[in-house]
Amino acid sequence: MAGSRLEKFGTVFTRVRDLMRSGVVKQSDKPIWYDVYKTFPPMKDPLYVRPVAKRYGKKEEAVPDIFYREDENRAKFYEGCGTGPRAFDLSKSSFVSTCQRFVEKYTEFESQGELEKQSLFEETGKALLAEDLGLRRRGIPAVASETRNPVLGMKLTDMLAEQQADAPGGTRAPGKEKPTQVPLNPQ
Amino acid sequence: MAAGVLTKGLCGFRQPRIVAAGYSCSGPLYATATAVKTLPLQTDSTAVTDKIQNLPLETPDFFHLSELFSLKDLFDARVHLGHKKGCRHRLMEPYLFGSRLGQDIIDLDQTMAHLQSALNFTAHIAYRGGIILFVSRRRQFGHVVESTAGDCGEYAHTRYWQGGLLTNAPIQYGSGVRLPDLIVFLSTLNNVFQQHVGVRDAAKMNIPTVGVVDSNCNPSLVTYPVPGNDDTPAAMELYCRLFKMTINRAKDKRRQMELLQGLSPPGLTQGSS
Repeated sequence: MAGSRLEKFGTVFTRVRDLMRSGVVKQSDKPIWYDVYKTFPPMKDPLYVRPVAKRYGKKEEAVPDIFYREDENRAKFYEGCGTGPRAFDLSKSSFVSTCQRFVEKYTEFESQGELEKQSLFEETGKALLAEDLGLRRRGIPAVASETRNPVLGMKLTDMLAEQQADAPGGTRAPGKEKPTQVPLNPQ
Repeated sequence: MAAGVLTKGLCGFRQPRIVAAGYSCSGPLYATATAVKTLPLQTDSTAVTDKIQNLPLETPDFFHLSELFSLKDLFDARVHLGHKKGCRHRLMEPYLFGSRLGQDIIDLDQTMAHLQSALNFTAHIAYRGGIILFVSRRRQFGHVVESTAGDCGEYAHTRYWQGGLLTNAPIQYGSGVRLPDLIVFLSTLNNVFQQHVGVRDAAKMNIPTVGVVDSNCNPSLVTYPVPGNDDTPAAMELYCRLFKMTINRAKDKRRQMELLQGLSPPGLTQGSS
């Protein structure tokens, strides 16, 4: 069957149409897709586009960057807290990250309109901390929920000195001795 | 050795269709031999066959393909995610919505329209008994593509594409080979990120193509491009599912129409569906 192998000239459709028009391809040999293409053509003709040489001069941005107004707040959040405490779980489409909650709270406070700009950030931080998300500022260690056991801060030498001061009189046993082994002082 | 479409047959419903044993896909695992059948000439029902053939062309969405997918489905399957700004192909710029922190985002409104058009074309080809070849050189999705093709009774080629597969078919496979009537590219790139040879060869052999073009692909030679992600498994499975459902729907419709019009029982089903 005759064909035209010039993929750089015209589209598949125009070539077949012209072949049929000129009689090279008989009507009975019409390809299956011909009528379908004629009724439902593609949105853009599949013409071959020659690769163009590099464009000189200023390249205008054909594809715009996508930025939102909340991006400012997100930037502030990440600056203050580093990457958030919770990892992103992208398998759930309804997942709300820590940063997103921060942004939502921020916009909520902003829409209420009572506080001014500086305090907005602080207020949002406080509100999220109150919700116990474990947020912390970069550089400042996390606030422990329980205080250190005061017993751990005691030093043995101090304890010993106390013991001896308590114990009546004389024996000044040198060195470290366990509190339970206080020598019995002959009275 | 890479195998293409090997059904021997003659185009056109007016002539007796003789289909020899052929093999689908590549490799010995996917050999499905189509039976040798001869349909009797039916000169009196050619008008009826004509009518069946041309009836779907009157409605814009004869197969109701718009109900198969929605914008949310595309979004959830991550179809809108393109590559980074540096990988962008100049000709994909009209199909992009924007670039978020360097990553190109594909405009899903355009994708919806293109996908509808592509699926519609595929359905019509399948309705008319055309041969559809699925091509993808992504090794990650080779199995998915091959099983999709098997499920809808069509063919797939996910291995190394030999140079003369389409352009030198009579020499490589014997004379009288029937070439595919539609080639569906589930990824238009090959393993070295250049355009797949099949895109250019199909244009050479006047075979229309449907292709999923990512933001680093060249959409110019693809007849019905579908701008979308071709790297995520979720997106690929979505495309495979959509194509499979479209082709099955179209073939079922054809069988239904033939039965209604009282023609001889449909003899030429290519593989099981």
